[in-house]
Amino acid sequence: MVKQICISEDDGQPAITLKRRTNNATNIFYIDPSTGALESEEAGTEVTYTWPGKDGYEAWRFSVVMRVLMAINEAFQSGLVISKRDIYYSDPAAFESQRVVDVLVDDIANTIGVDRSDLNVEAAAKGLVTGFYQLTTTTGENIDARLLTKDCLIPRVQEISRLDVSDVDWVLIVEKEAVFRRLTQSSFHVRAAAGVGIIVTGKGYPDLRTRAFVRKIYESIAITRPNNPPPFYALVDGDPHGIAIMSTYKYGSMTHTRENRRLVLPCLRWLGLRTSDIVDAEESTNENETLSLTPRDRKKIMTMLSRSPVLAIDGPEPEWRVELQRMLMLNMKAETEIQYDCNGGLEAWIDREMLWQDSI
Amino acid sequence: MNKSVLYPTICPFTKFPTAHLSDIFSLAVTDKQILSASGSNALQAHSTTDAEFPLVQILEAHRVGCHHVVTNERGTRSVSVGFGGEIVIWAFQDGTWLKTKVVTLKDVWAVVLSADGQYLAGTTQDGHIKVWDLDGNIEEIRDHETKGSFGTCIDLSPDGRLIASGHESGSVYIFSTETGRMPFSVSGLVKPVRTVTFSPGGKFLAAAGDSKVIVLYDTSSGEQVASLTGHSAWILSLSWSSTGEYLLSGSFDGKVKVWSIDTRSCVATHSESEKAIWSVKWLPKIGKSEGFATAGASRSISFYREATGG
Repeated sequence: MVKQICISEDDGQPAITLKRRTNNATNIFYIDPSTGALESEEAGTEVTYTWPGKDGYEAWRFSVVMRVLMAINEAFQSGLVISKRDIYYSDPAAFESQRVVDVLVDDIANTIGVDRSDLNVEAAAKGLVTGFYQLTTTTGENIDARLLTKDCLIPRVQEISRLDVSDVDWVLIVEKEAVFRRLTQSSFHVRAAAGVGIIVTGKGYPDLRTRAFVRKIYESIAITRPNNPPPFYALVDGDPHGIAIMSTYKYGSMTHTRENRRLVLPCLRWLGLRTSDIVDAEESTNENETLSLTPRDRKKIMTMLSRSPVLAIDGPEPEWRVELQRMLMLNMKAETEIQYDCNGGLEAWIDREMLWQDSI
Repeated sequence: MNKSVLYPTICPFTKFPTAHLSDIFSLAVTDKQILSASGSNALQAHSTTDAEFPLVQILEAHRVGCHHVVTNERGTRSVSVGFGGEIVIWAFQDGTWLKTKVVTLKDVWAVVLSADGQYLAGTTQDGHIKVWDLDGNIEEIRDHETKGSFGTCIDLSPDGRLIASGHESGSVYIFSTETGRMPFSVSGLVKPVRTVTFSPGGKFLAAAGDSKVIVLYDTSSGEQVASLTGHSAWILSLSWSSTGEYLLSGSFDGKVKVWSIDTRSCVATHSESEKAIWSVKWLPKIGKSEGFATAGASRSISFYREATGG
C-alpha cells in the first residue's frame, strides 16, 4: 500500500509527491444528503519533495517523509498499531515537532486515499466508556462491562469482533470527562430512570476512535433492534464549543471530512444545555454561575454560523442555529456542571430531560 | 376599581403562526409598517394600516440572521444589524425598502436612529457608545467610553439631546449628545440590563433586565423615581405608548404586561405561550384605537388591538 506513493526519478533525483489538504478556511462545506455527512470540496494541493533538493530545508522534508513512511511500513508489515506520538519519539531531533509528524501522517493517508487507521497509525486512546455492554476482542478476550463501575478506554473498533448492546435503553455522549466521571461514580448507566445505558466521553472534541466506537454501537443496534432503537443523546456545555462537539459526533469534523461518511451519527439528539436550561438553572440556584461570552466565543459562533452547512438557514439543525443566536443575544454561556446544584442534581436533571425528550 | 376604567381592554387581534423560520429578535415600527428581524436570512415588513396586517415586503439580508432593526421617526430610513457583524442601511422610497448600503462597524451590537435618520448611535461589545453620521461617509463622530461591560441596549431621547445605554454589568449611562459628557450618574440595576427606553416626552427613562424589575429614572436628575415589580422572569423589551401613559414590557417566560405610569401599576398581563418575548412595540394609533405587537421565540408576531364595542 505504501508503494502507491509516487517516487519519480525523472531528473535523476528521487522525489515524493504528497496530496495535501488545503487550508480549510477556503474549503466549501456541504452535507451529503444520502449519508448525512459533512463533506468538503477540497481542491487539494500537491507538494513534491526531492532529494537532495535545492536547499537544506527540502532535503530535511524529504528525509522526514521517508522516515514516517518507513515507520508506517514497519507497523503495517508487522500488523502492529503505532501512534503518531510513537513515530515522533522514535527520533524527536529529526522530526523537530509532533505537528510535523501529525500533518505528514494525514497527508500520506490522504494521498493513498485511505483512513489513517488503515495505515495502523492511531492517536493515543482518549475516549472513555462505561455501560451496559459486552464485547469480545479479536484476540478472544471477553469483556462484560454491564455491572462494572469502572470506566474503560475506548477500544479500537478493528479489535472488536463482537459487540453486544442489545439490552441498552439509551446511549449518552458527554462532552466532559469530569461529567462522565461523576455519572460513572453514581452508576448512572444502571440507575437512570430511563433504564440501562451506555455513557461515552471523547474528552472534548472526539478523536476518530471514539467516533468509530459510538458508530459501532449505532450499527450494532441497527442490526439487532432496527424497529426499536434506543435514543442517542449528547450532553454538551451551553457554549459554541459544545455545539461544535455535538456537530462533530453527528455530522463529522471539518478537518477530517473524508472520514465523516462512515462515522456519522444521524440519530443523535441534543439533551442540553440549552439557553433555557441555563436561565432556569440560574434562577433556581440563585447564584450567578452563568458566564459571559468572551470575544473569542462570539467570534467562534459567528464563524460557525457563516461556515457550517449544518447551521445554515436551510440546514438540518435550525434549533442549533437559533440556540447559538440566543447565546449571542443574551451574551451568556454555561458549563454542564451548573446542573450539579439544581433540584436533585445532575442525574435527576438528565432523568427529566430524557423522559421529556422521549415523550416528544 | 374596575381595571377597564383605567385601561381599555386590548385583545389578541391576529397572529401569524409561522411568520419567520427562526426567533424574532427585534421589531421596529413606522407610521405604516412594522419591520421584524429574525434569525432567518430576511427581514419582513407588515402593513399596519390594513386591519389584516398583511406581509408587504421580504427584505433579504443577513445570511446568518439579524438581531436588531430600528427605524427613524419619519419612517424614511431603517438600519438592521446582523449576527455576522454587518449593518444594512435601508431607505423607504415609493412604498418599498431599498438596501442603500452595507457596512461593517466593528463590534457594534444594539443601535438606535435619530428622529431625522441622519445619526446612528450604537453600543459595542466592549462597552463603548458611538455615534455615526449616516449622510455621507458614515463617519464616526462620537466615541464614549464606559467601564468595558457589554452594551446590550441603547436609546436616544426624542429631542436627540440624550443617549442612554444599558450594560451587562447592570450599569445604566446617560450621555449628553452635545457635550459628550454624563450630566449625572445613574444608579443602575444589580443584574444585566436588557432594555432602556425614553418616554415620548423625554421625561423618563425606563430600564429593565434580569432583575425582573422596571426602573423609571427622571431624566432631568438621573434619580430613580419608581420601580415596577410583577414580572417573574428576565425582562427583554420595553415600549412606551405614544402618549406616555402606558409602558409595555415583555419577558423571557412569554409574559407581556401593560403598566400605567399614573398609578405605577400593572393593568394587564397577556400570555400566549411560555416562549421568550424578545421584542414588544406599541403601534401607531389607528383613529383612537391603541394597539401593540409582540414577537420572540414563538417565531410569530402577535398583534393586539383595543376591543371595540365592549
